[in-house]
Amino acid sequence: MAEPLISARNIKKYFDVGEGMLKAVDGISFDIYPGETFGLVGESGCGKSTAGRTIIRLYDPTEGELIFNGKNIYDLSHREMQEVRRNFQMIFQDPYASLNPRMTVEEIVAEPLDIHKAYKNHEERKARVIELLELVGLNEEHAMRFPHEFSGGQRQRIGIARALALNPKFIVCDEPISALDVSIQAQVVNLLKDLQEKLGLTYMFIAHDLSMVRYISDRVGVMYLGHMMELAKSEELYDNPIHPYTRALLSAIPIPNPEIQRSRKRIMLEGDVPSPINPKPGCRFVDRCSYAVDKCRKETPVFEEIKPNHFVACHRAREI
Amino acid sequence: MEKVLEVKNLAVSFKTFFGEVEAVRDISFDVGRSETVAIVGESGCGKSVTANSIMQLLPMPPAFFKGGEILFNGDNLLKRSEKEIQAIRGNQISMVFQDPMTSLNPTMKIGKQIVEGLVKHQKLSTEEAKKKAIEMLNLVAVPQPEKRINQYPHEFSGGMRQRVMIALAMVSTPQLLIADEPTTALDVTVQAQILELMKEIQKKLNMSIILITHDLGIVADMSDKVIVMYAGQILEEGLTEEIFENTKHPYTRKLLASVPRLDMSRDEPLHSIEGTPPDLYIPPKGCSFYDRCEYAMKICKSHMPDFESHSSTHKSRCWLNHPMAQANEGRNS
Repeated sequence: MAEPLISARNIKKYFDVGEGMLKAVDGISFDIYPGETFGLVGESGCGKSTAGRTIIRLYDPTEGELIFNGKNIYDLSHREMQEVRRNFQMIFQDPYASLNPRMTVEEIVAEPLDIHKAYKNHEERKARVIELLELVGLNEEHAMRFPHEFSGGQRQRIGIARALALNPKFIVCDEPISALDVSIQAQVVNLLKDLQEKLGLTYMFIAHDLSMVRYISDRVGVMYLGHMMELAKSEELYDNPIHPYTRALLSAIPIPNPEIQRSRKRIMLEGDVPSPINPKPGCRFVDRCSYAVDKCRKETPVFEEIKPNHFVACHRAREI
Repeated sequence: MEKVLEVKNLAVSFKTFFGEVEAVRDISFDVGRSETVAIVGESGCGKSVTANSIMQLLPMPPAFFKGGEILFNGDNLLKRSEKEIQAIRGNQISMVFQDPMTSLNPTMKIGKQIVEGLVKHQKLSTEEAKKKAIEMLNLVAVPQPEKRINQYPHEFSGGMRQRVMIALAMVSTPQLLIADEPTTALDVTVQAQILELMKEIQKKLNMSIILITHDLGIVADMSDKVIVMYAGQILEEGLTEEIFENTKHPYTRKLLASVPRLDMSRDEPLHSIEGTPPDLYIPPKGCSFYDRCEYAMKICKSHMPDFESHSSTHKSRCWLNHPMAQANEGRNS
């Protein structure tokens, strides 16, 4: 396989919350290859958004390395980081909150260009903004309007145009469609796929909608309480899940087909996700796992390759 | 089947500074005993306004009823006074709201919030009501209910709060439960628990459910009958199997095609519905889906079709299903 575009090694991000350490991301490692879409799924509070933000260094990590172009970007100075950051962009969840209501669309889309002084004169700036708007299915007329004049789907397009302004290589999409209606979701997903093909982008796609993640991602990682539980090619993960948590998660997705849905056997999980503040040692999923044995309470399972390109963190991965 | 609720030609509008918004435009449907009816559609299609009309929870003004009747056990709710409605609301008809984070009172203990309704509606003593509250929390599988009733909402997780909401709605053994996106704010594993719980309680109490959702997977799982709403109107209605397997309206078909399925190939394109729903300040004269429909014909622009029956339970509003239109397909042909 090709060289990875970015390699995350043992990334940790802790927050001091007074009553202890909130271990939002607790040692996750993975590679993302150029041109692919890496999906990250998990339930709320599992650390997937923190992982996405730590990777592009919006948060400074507690520990770990992120190799991009042969360099660990966590070692870079503020100045060097600014140069590298052109390559990383983010699309946010809430298209209502992530655009400044007092700026016109042109100002919003041109802001990254302004910061990085990526144009010679005013005409060039304007031309680039129009080019970007057209790329995401908007047009020149929209440039002088304000965010409140747009629908949710259109706003998300503006957010995408802004993310594309500096020709990034890697975009973290943090739940980019969860605030949108189903019919609009498909529009945005199709746009993201087209742009990926046209511009050779690499995505990290964070979401809790598992069927959408399967559809858009080449490989998918499953997180639970700050740990990566399973990682595999999209089809492989959904067809042959190994980790008990992944199995439960997949069986909980309602399928829009009454015949199949009503005859399915679901794995019901008892209880809720435990608190990530000062978590106990051992497997994070142990209290809700029907396969748990004593070893699971004592030792944290290693994240290892069980089958080619299929990684699982479970002591009993080979037997169940 | 015995009908618990009949909605007849309901029309609800909102007065605003810019004019009248016709949020619900002449809809009729009914709900049978222990039946689950799902209402699906995009945001702004009028599904929540319909639910809130039945509960009479709409702020008036700006909202007002333009016409129609809501018959609950044959009794028109729109003719009742606010006082009479209060005796029904939360007692015979209950509602579970979308957001468990904001629909509980943060300054009141959980137990007290449940007891409040019991004392008011069923004239129980506080002691009896408390016992009943613990029983209800047990029923919705909240662990240690004796301890939990003395806690505040912020001490509960999202899933637990939604359970409390359901306990609150069930406590008076209602005949009809209206669940407005009851699991949208929850994770899938918790969602599965809550839906399972609702099914169980429905069986026990012989309750009817109106389920408002945009998740077609949940519809497939839960409902007996499906109503597809768009721009304040019903476009298609039928048994769940009929809607999924014998889809008649282009909008329903598009809606079904726009969600990725777990069994579809990743190379298959996702069918998005281009454009956005019409503005209900000036509702279109013809079919409200005209602008976004790939099969739109001339007549669709000027005339809204009537319902065409496909079976005794299945009907849709589309000119394509009109006996005279079968041969003519394609835009503006």
